[in-house]
Amino acid sequence: MNVIGLGIASMGVAIGLGLIGFAGLQGMSRQPEAIGKLQTAMLIALAFVELVFLLTVFVGAPGLK
Amino acid sequence: MGGLLSTQTNVLASAEAVSSLGTAIYVGLVLILLFAVLAMAKKGLNGRVFKNPWTQATEQLYLFIENMCVGIIGSHGRKYIPMIATFWLVIFVANVVALFMGFSPTASLSFNLGMALISIGYVQFEGMKANGMFGHFSHFAGPKLGGLMALLITPVIFVIEIVSEIIKNASLSLRLYGNIFGGGKAVHSMNELGHSIYVPFGEFLMPIKLLTVVVQALIFCLLTCVYLSLVTGHHDEEHGEDHGHGAPAHA
Amino acid sequence: MSNQEKSSGLPYPVKLVVGAVLMFGGFWLSQNAEQYLPFQHGLAEKGIPLDLGITIAVIGVFLILFPVINSFYLKPLADAINERTHALESTFGEAESLRAEMTKMKSDYEQRLVATEAEARAQIQAQIKEAQDLRQSLMADANAKADELVKRAQQEIEAEKQRVLGELRSSVVTLTLQASEKILGENMDSDKNRRLVTEFIDKVEVPS
Repeated sequence: MNVIGLGIASMGVAIGLGLIGFAGLQGMSRQPEAIGKLQTAMLIALAFVELVFLLTVFVGAPGLK
Repeated sequence: MGGLLSTQTNVLASAEAVSSLGTAIYVGLVLILLFAVLAMAKKGLNGRVFKNPWTQATEQLYLFIENMCVGIIGSHGRKYIPMIATFWLVIFVANVVALFMGFSPTASLSFNLGMALISIGYVQFEGMKANGMFGHFSHFAGPKLGGLMALLITPVIFVIEIVSEIIKNASLSLRLYGNIFGGGKAVHSMNELGHSIYVPFGEFLMPIKLLTVVVQALIFCLLTCVYLSLVTGHHDEEHGEDHGHGAPAHA
Repeated sequence: MSNQEKSSGLPYPVKLVVGAVLMFGGFWLSQNAEQYLPFQHGLAEKGIPLDLGITIAVIGVFLILFPVINSFYLKPLADAINERTHALESTFGEAESLRAEMTKMKSDYEQRLVATEAEARAQIQAQIKEAQDLRQSLMADANAKADELVKRAQQEIEAEKQRVLGELRSSVVTLTLQASEKILGENMDSDKNRRLVTEFIDKVEVPS
């Protein structure tokens, strides 16, 4: 059951990452001159979304034992 | 199927296996590699055009980090370049070691927590140096409110900000640890998956891991820069604002 | 955290000593973790393999590493990059000044060329003018000489004519008188007759 919970968590985080990548690429294609700023902001957002999954793993995975 | 689940269940169980002596040996390995690369790069420093590929690579890295520091922190960000560059070099070399070895310093939560503590501690130190001790802590208390609101909300914001500062440590270290250690575990699990037909599926993850190697080093340095810019970036405006709003608040 | 804050402004050897103390202290703490940090075992059971001794040792290692890497590689690299930038800038400045000098020389040369050309043209004009003057004066000279010649010739012709006319007149008078003498048989050659004949000739002479 807990494994399924982890799967759901990873699914949500994957959707979030995809949305960030989508928005980032769209913005970059619309304004190619702002790629540097967009990349920085995108990477920071990616890092924070990724952290959610890692925290989930660290809170949830020990219960798998 | 049961095999897959059983590998998943002991993902984190074997995490405590590496002792402090093993960590020290791996840190020594990373430092030896790092200094070997830097010594090779140092040989190509003479001359107007750097022909040595190691020197060229480190020059590009230096310019990139300089761009990042100046772009995010501002014109006074140039003095943080050595620290950011050292973080980058150590994390990058350790991540490359993690690609080929079973263990690496960055795959250890303790090592990453040490780096995060240095990073956040330095950020606090710089904030205190830039805003003064009182200014730095009043920065935590959020916007200046008057009357009852100040009594009710400011302590809550203060506690939340302190907790978020502590969480920053955990987030910096956990991100690096989870990515590097988890990447190794993913390779291990996928190798287990193809164990019966002798195909190392996990090695096909190598391109993604290569990307992770660079991105994690970048993100660690980027977030350090962002935290530094948060405490030192609005120095001048904050000071003027403090004087303007401070007088009626005290009166 | 507080150690880092305190040692950040410290001089180089103190940093190294603090870093080494933290490093070995952390290592020792990690070796004796069961005794001093017993809660780590519970964390490891829960899946968080934290070893605070290693963390403290890492802080020490980084305290040593920052100045060492900075002085070992980053500072020389930054110096080299700055030096290269300055060299490039100075080279560019030199090239710029050389180019300005060249432009100046070129304009100088062009000016001198224009001046030379104008001078040459003026000289040519002067020569032409002089030649024209000379021609005019020569022509005037020649004209004057020719006029003089013509005038003298006319005077000579006139004089000759006068002389011839006088001679003719005297010979006519003589002939007339001789003819009259012959006719009259008597000497008529006296001053009075001669005057008469001359008056007669004057009268009949066609005014020229």
